[in-house]
Amino acid sequence: MNPAVIVDGLIGGLQLGLLAVGLTLLYGLGGILNLAHGQIAVFGGIVGAAVLDADLGMPAAAVAAVASALALGLVLDQSIMRPVYKRRGEERILLSLLVTLGVSFVIDGVLVWRYPSEALTMRVGTGGAVDVLGITIRQGSLWASAITIVAIGAVIVFLQYTRTGRAVRSVIEDETGAQLVGVNPATVRTVIFGLSGALAGLFAVTQSMTSPVTSSSGVSYTILALIVTVVGGLGSARGALLAGVLLGVVNAVSAAEIGSYITAIILLAAAALTILLRPAGLLGTTR
Amino acid sequence: MTAALSTVDATPTRRPPWLAYAPIAVIGVLSLIVPLVVGDSRTWMGVATSGLLFACYATAFNVIFGSTGQLFLCLGALAGVAGYATPILAEDVGLPLVVALLIATALSAGLGALFSWISVRRSLGVIFTGIVTLTFSLGFGNLLLGQRDLTGGETGLRIATGADTWLRELVPVYLLFLVLLLAYLGLFQWLQRSHFGWAFRALRDDPVAAELAGIDVARYRIWAGGIGSAMLGLAGGLWAVTEGFVSPTTFAFGEVDVETLVILAFGGIGTLVGPVIGALALTVIDELLRDAGQLRVAVFGVILITLFLGFRRGVGPALADMFRRILPTSLVDRFT
Repeated sequence: MNPAVIVDGLIGGLQLGLLAVGLTLLYGLGGILNLAHGQIAVFGGIVGAAVLDADLGMPAAAVAAVASALALGLVLDQSIMRPVYKRRGEERILLSLLVTLGVSFVIDGVLVWRYPSEALTMRVGTGGAVDVLGITIRQGSLWASAITIVAIGAVIVFLQYTRTGRAVRSVIEDETGAQLVGVNPATVRTVIFGLSGALAGLFAVTQSMTSPVTSSSGVSYTILALIVTVVGGLGSARGALLAGVLLGVVNAVSAAEIGSYITAIILLAAAALTILLRPAGLLGTTR
Repeated sequence: MTAALSTVDATPTRRPPWLAYAPIAVIGVLSLIVPLVVGDSRTWMGVATSGLLFACYATAFNVIFGSTGQLFLCLGALAGVAGYATPILAEDVGLPLVVALLIATALSAGLGALFSWISVRRSLGVIFTGIVTLTFSLGFGNLLLGQRDLTGGETGLRIATGADTWLRELVPVYLLFLVLLLAYLGLFQWLQRSHFGWAFRALRDDPVAAELAGIDVARYRIWAGGIGSAMLGLAGGLWAVTEGFVSPTTFAFGEVDVETLVILAFGGIGTLVGPVIGALALTVIDELLRDAGQLRVAVFGVILITLFLGFRRGVGPALADMFRRILPTSLVDRFT
């Protein structure tokens, strides 16, 4: 087997992990299963593409992509998610799933209708490939993985060491307990919805360095993020990263060796089997 | 004391049993107007028949989700299992059409019962049942694309069985699906009024309490999953034969499941006529948006959000509530 395939899988997997972290934190925090996650990423990507089209340069486009996805996350949190937060437990998850499914259609429909052929493609570096330890890697992939690793590091530092990050983890652990020690779950939720959006936007940026982010790719991003989140354990950020890398490698190897249809089935089966055999996910503990 | 008791006994709120089935007869008679008016228009009969198909899907989903709260997100796939198995069994294996249809329906029913069994066994909540069935849905779509030899892949499968018979004529096919819908509605109402209905209501409100009251929750959930999936399968199989063509899009998640969910949410989950009202409304909306292209998807999303945030019990029941405030209760109760 070509080692480059595994490296590709690792790089793709890191990005998937980053996308899934946003989804899993939202679930762990507020019992929100956001089925519009991939569409938020694509929204950021298309805004970035518009900035690129206006010749404002790549850094501006990347910032615009992240900022717009972040803003969309905040808007959703403050508008249509509010009635959802009023419900508790399983009813809230179910309602969030149905409402965000609607949101995903709205974003998808509007983007594909208005910008059917728009896509974000960032050509970073000279466009050629470089040799790392005897393995050929495209420059775009290197940039993408560097940015992703930095972002993952930032998320970990945020969750582990900052005051807000600790508040986030306390809410995941026990919402009532967190409230008792003075953490406001609503504020934390808003922060995480924004963060989740920003990570989705960043995913679109890094993704566009290796393959174009088209206006219709939202559905597949959402499904991939959902699979990774489930395998990693809903609510576990570390699980999502691990599952992302693992499934990224499986994805790349299987696509190269077996074929794309079977690969999709393998990934879906991984999610289904995780739920059946180990519902808490790879690293999760059963609550 | 005796007087009080006798008044209780003397108020015959119990209606004659046939009255429960009266709405179905009304739907049947009203639906006969369609072929009388547009019977020779290929377009309109096609639209109307597909409306009936979706009312069938929604009634089946009503048995599974509306009655027992199992979120199956693989309605299209379950219909598709039979939709593909029927022509394959009839043509590649050479079975008679009716036998092929029955086996295909049994296959869907078995799968549905299996999903129910798994979700009961592993005590999956609504969400996990939803995700597991969603993965089946997406996996099934990929399987159809991958097994090119058997399914024709992306281009789909042309079906010779039933060609040049009444199964391909406009009005007979419409009537076939009308009969199917009426039968499904009858089955739904019969289930609600039998011991199933009592168990369904109890376990939907509180599964733990139902279990404690001696209801075998697992058994009733599996029955609901199996019966509902059989209904999906039969409808999908018949659709394949009468259309003469199936492709992965025919049974895709975005085509079947989403629309069925919207229909049921619109009409009112768990109600008898909800699927019919919802299907009628969605058919009209779909026709109005025919030229809107991708914007149709966005409008669908807006409808979905509005329905779930604004009309939790469906537009139908919300309207009924409004009428109830205006009209005497006795009059409204007779029809809801």
